[in-house]
Amino acid sequence: MIADDSRMGPERVHGSLYVDPAVFTEEMCRVFGRGWVFVGHDSEVPERGDWVTRRLGREPVILVRDLDGEVRVLANRCAHRGTTLCWASRGHGRSWQCTYHGWTFSLAGELKGVPYPGGFHRLKSDLGLDRPAQLARYRGFVFADLGGGAGTLEEHLGPGGRELIDRLCDLSPTGQIRLDRGWIGHRIDANWKMLAESDNDAYHLGWVHASMVASAPDTYYEDAVLGAEEANPSLAVDHGGGHFELDFRPSYKADGAWLGMSSEKAEPYVRALARARGAERAGSLLRAGPPHALIFPNLFLGEMNIAIIEPVTSSRTIHHHTAVMLEGVDETFNRRLLRQSEAALGPASFIVPDDAVTAERMQRALAASPTVRDVRNDLGWMDLSRGLEREKADPASGRRVGHVTDEITNRAFWRQYRRVMQGRP
Amino acid sequence: MNAEPAARVPEAVRHEIESFLFYEARLADESRYAEWEALVTDDVHYWVPAGPADYDPASRLSHLNDNRARLATRIRQLKTGKRHAQSPPSLMRRVVSNVEILSADERDGQYVIGSNLVLYELAHQATGELRVWVGRVTHRLRRIDGALRIAAKTVELVNAAEPLPNLAFLI
Repeated sequence: MIADDSRMGPERVHGSLYVDPAVFTEEMCRVFGRGWVFVGHDSEVPERGDWVTRRLGREPVILVRDLDGEVRVLANRCAHRGTTLCWASRGHGRSWQCTYHGWTFSLAGELKGVPYPGGFHRLKSDLGLDRPAQLARYRGFVFADLGGGAGTLEEHLGPGGRELIDRLCDLSPTGQIRLDRGWIGHRIDANWKMLAESDNDAYHLGWVHASMVASAPDTYYEDAVLGAEEANPSLAVDHGGGHFELDFRPSYKADGAWLGMSSEKAEPYVRALARARGAERAGSLLRAGPPHALIFPNLFLGEMNIAIIEPVTSSRTIHHHTAVMLEGVDETFNRRLLRQSEAALGPASFIVPDDAVTAERMQRALAASPTVRDVRNDLGWMDLSRGLEREKADPASGRRVGHVTDEITNRAFWRQYRRVMQGRP
Repeated sequence: MNAEPAARVPEAVRHEIESFLFYEARLADESRYAEWEALVTDDVHYWVPAGPADYDPASRLSHLNDNRARLATRIRQLKTGKRHAQSPPSLMRRVVSNVEILSADERDGQYVIGSNLVLYELAHQATGELRVWVGRVTHRLRRIDGALRIAAKTVELVNAAEPLPNLAFLI
């Protein structure tokens, strides 16, 4: 076993897990092949015939709404000789035709037409497009399980994962969000796990993002994560199942603080939410704001952004992001969210480029860790112990909670990783 | 973008415009942030679309979509010295070529200039890789108190729709 307990423990993980190509191959099989993985959102394919292309780990797939209105995930690969079917990142049509020998497939993935049928003796129904064994949705978020042995999506998300997604969607007056303003891909030459961790690491903010804090001083992060250690009431939460969050709610001093805009600018949204939910519920939603969380393994709920962590190799990742648009809210408000998304995520933004360069610096520093470990087993380890002594476990919910800067989120990730990689229940 | 042949301007104006583009390129190459910032107008729009520049930047996500205030924040951030993605600043040299004056309004001092960009960036603060950036640049220049200034700059990268590495320098 590649990711065995000689490389990870409750307080530390070995650097080789981030750089070893053999570990990466095993992850594509166990984490992205045999578990639930986020693919996309219903709102990306609103009309029958709409499709977008994605990766399920490294497996190329098409998320499509077929002509009957059913949302499907199909391999982006001709069932004949394996040619890529869809080159574009998105499109619309009634069928797909392979450019190699002209085989035609329906949007439901069935083989429909084979040129020169005289030499074709197979059953068309045996040659449909490959597809994940399980597909399931929760509030429009589409997840797939390639292998089929991952249990139900409900079990995977658990109450914690479902609550995180609910807290985001409930901020929309209609309960619906839309991811329909385009995606930006950020290429980062570092291991995918570093991004899953750094997206939800509050300890680094005062260092990695010092320049953002100094140049955009009105950011609400100041209250949420940058106060003195003792004064900061924000929390790090392990929801179990590899889902975890930075819970900024205790630090927000006003309704809508997380919006990062004046109450005048937020007013049309606040009114729409109050109309839909009543003043009291709208007030508590506005106070709480959206989650900042990871749904294991690849979905980052980044407040009013969604990111997908796409592993490419052991040392390359694409961090895709889009802005969360709220239904039932006027366009002016949604456009402000778009501008905030541009400021926060992506290669030219004010925040994530500093995470990216940090991860790239880690990747370089860990490059030799598989071999130094062979020389001396005490070399090349990374510490995850921060806050282990002060975290609180809640037996009823199974959650672990601690100070926002504590490495509860990292430990939550690695606990699930160990379970999945070692095939434990 | 405008496919019309180049607008006619006096040779001296054409020379002035080209010299201005080359000067702006050198300031960006050398991460001379304050001097570069002095070249833009108060209503500047600085845009790197996430694909061809055929959409309204207000309505969709872009890599970079700065008005004057956001550009000021960008440059403040670079000047903190703690912008790790540009600390130390990338070593860069860019070639600005195929300069075409696409439209010229001499009376109002407004010009639209098209050019091609080839930029080599040594990302020595990160992976140490030599990165290549290629694109079409459209400048809207305006003459203010006799001097040319940038009212809009759009950089359409050939790989704009692909995942990009850090783009934290002035392109």
